[in-house]
Amino acid sequence: MAANFWTSSHYKQLLEQEEVDVVHPMDKEKGINLEDFKLIKLHMANYVWKLAQHVKVRQRVVATAVSYMRRVYTRKSLTEYDPRLVAPTCLYLASKAEESTVQARLLVFYIKKLYSDDKYRYEIKDILEMEMKILEALNYYLVVFHPYRALIQFLQDAGMNDMSMTQLSWGLVNDTYRMDLILMHPPHLIALACLYIATVYREKDATAWFEELRVDMNVVKNISMEILDFYENHRLITDERINVAFNKLAFKP
Amino acid sequence: MAVAAPGQLNIEESPPSWGSRSVDCFEKLEQIGEGTYGQVFMAKEIKTGEIVALKKIRMDNEREGFPITAIREIKILKKLHHENVIKLKEIVTSPGPERDEQGRPDGNKYKGSIYMVFEYMDHDLTGLADRPGLRFTVPQIKCYMKQLLTGLHYCHVNQVLHRDIKGSNLLIDNEGNLKLADFGLARSFSHDHNGNLTNRVITLWYRPPELLLGATKYGPAVDMWSVGCIFAELLNGKPILPGKNEPEQLNKIFELCGSPDEVNWPGVTKTPWYNNFKPTRPLKRRVREVFRLFDRHAIDLLERMLVLDPTQRISAKDALDAEYFWTDPVPCDPKTLPKYESSHEFQTKKKRQQQRQNEEAAKRQKLQHPQQHARLPPTQHTGQPHPPHWSGPNHPMNNAPPPVAAGPGHHHYSKPRGPPGGPNRYPPSGSQSGGYNQNRGSQVGGYNSGPYPPQGRGPPYAGSGMPAGPRGPSSGYAAGPTNYSQSGQYGGSAGGRGQNPMGGNRNQPYGWQP
Repeated sequence: MAANFWTSSHYKQLLEQEEVDVVHPMDKEKGINLEDFKLIKLHMANYVWKLAQHVKVRQRVVATAVSYMRRVYTRKSLTEYDPRLVAPTCLYLASKAEESTVQARLLVFYIKKLYSDDKYRYEIKDILEMEMKILEALNYYLVVFHPYRALIQFLQDAGMNDMSMTQLSWGLVNDTYRMDLILMHPPHLIALACLYIATVYREKDATAWFEELRVDMNVVKNISMEILDFYENHRLITDERINVAFNKLAFKP
Repeated sequence: MAVAAPGQLNIEESPPSWGSRSVDCFEKLEQIGEGTYGQVFMAKEIKTGEIVALKKIRMDNEREGFPITAIREIKILKKLHHENVIKLKEIVTSPGPERDEQGRPDGNKYKGSIYMVFEYMDHDLTGLADRPGLRFTVPQIKCYMKQLLTGLHYCHVNQVLHRDIKGSNLLIDNEGNLKLADFGLARSFSHDHNGNLTNRVITLWYRPPELLLGATKYGPAVDMWSVGCIFAELLNGKPILPGKNEPEQLNKIFELCGSPDEVNWPGVTKTPWYNNFKPTRPLKRRVREVFRLFDRHAIDLLERMLVLDPTQRISAKDALDAEYFWTDPVPCDPKTLPKYESSHEFQTKKKRQQQRQNEEAAKRQKLQHPQQHARLPPTQHTGQPHPPHWSGPNHPMNNAPPPVAAGPGHHHYSKPRGPPGGPNRYPPSGSQSGGYNQNRGSQVGGYNSGPYPPQGRGPPYAGSGMPAGPRGPSSGYAAGPTNYSQSGQYGGSAGGRGQNPMGGNRNQPYGWQP
């Protein structure tokens, strides 16, 4: 939905890192720490992504769904809002909000196909019920802005809209949804950070172009550092660690 | 959006609780509307005493959860903030039936009720215009038209098509403010969307020829046609194109506006249903002739609204610049308009019914068909708009309803003033496009020199099938390294949202149906 970001609820709801990195007390009781929390959200973002590939929705829907999920968990606990239900439901809701409706039964079908594990098994009525809860948790604010559109404009403006740069920076933007950046930074700054990394990576000199932007490059560089840190850590993420986190969630104190 | 004064917070919203309040926070006073989707109530917030309108979103027939129409309306209303657009205050819920109906089959738990809470408005334009004996003054009509166009321009700039502009969806309060309501059929027309919108929108009498001819790619011009119909209706005293069905509607349009051809509407012969509906004989355009009694500037403006070819139809922005609004008598200040007793089409109708019953009792005579009063054309007085010119015997302000018991509807609560009107309420140019996109200082960065931040909207009429503009290819998402097909089975248009808003009757009152 392309209205004005600066008057949007998305802009008003941007959060600080300290507000996002809060493990809900209920989850803490189960021994879930910040690392686990992030891992679970990462895993669920991947889940949404995989599911979306099967039901064939636009990338924007995925980005919106993941943003919803991340927003929900700044307000609700993993314990009460099972991520394995929240993730597909966010995709369901985002598909409506982004005008690419996916039927609930189709989602249920692909969930079964993707995961044989009983813990992922939810029925249509579960999704519909969770949808209401998510709408409330989101306070019915459904508009999310994404970096993609800005990225395309930046690439064009900087004259770097060749295939290689576009693909790399686009992929980087995709990866930012594995982190909480979308909750904390205006999308165009995330786009710039991805573009910045891409120029460094491809050894392009875009200093002059960035300087002309009159954007606070410190913020852009900080976002870039966060992204690079994420890549660095991501190598160390194993299925094992994700399982450990989910096992804690299953723990009943 | 203004920056708060020093010492004040920039955040307007109350501290979040992340959950909806219960509908029990409100006391329902009276039903003021009923649509195919549910009821609308006038209600009082118990804590503050504020009067609001509660619009119920029915959930009981939804196999796909929260209705997408409600999602659209909420999404759109949450982003539109304008004095001529109805304000969605909050959403409240009431628990579903699961508590007392344990025995029912699975799947009922999410079926509670949801209500959208709106600011309460005293009237709708149709209800007001239908009041027996009431005639609008010229400055009053100009005032309403100007507000209608200002609100619509704001929607279009924000890439929202209303798609159901008609009198009962234009709400008016006792401050004379007019607000667009009922965004239940509205859609955003962003460019990452390849058109293919449904043509089954807009109440028949206000539906433009391109939709009647089957267009699925269209833009803000559809709303402007409706505005033209309303404008003429205000001046004329009654609806100008009351077709009974779609073919008849097109015929009426052609009889008034002439038959379309490749000269006055390039491309019309390629519209999907042109061959089914093309007029059998060529017809002349008769707008000027039919409305010859209107003043010159009014006809000039109307001529530019009721243009068959949507690409040549006047935009809201240009309409605001029309001579009509800048020649004497100029539009009056909404605050100087007379205050009327509450009237919504729903209520007016109910009241008339009740009145009828009383008369029946009195005369012991059955009136099957109450006489339809004809609306009166506007008074041609050009002076002060108030006091109102009533032609009927019952004069002014509170048009005391004859023998009808005064229900709770006859309130005259005072409510906080809206945003300061002030002298710049209507900028002289009529163009407000700059104002909607406050550039938040340096944060936007100098990347864009214009008033559009990177995520801003595109050209206002990017509509469907717009070629690559400054914001890149309209199918921007396909440009990147993505595997998702854009127009996959479920992509694109929401297609058959099916409902055809009430073919041609005005029985759907009040502008709050979801």
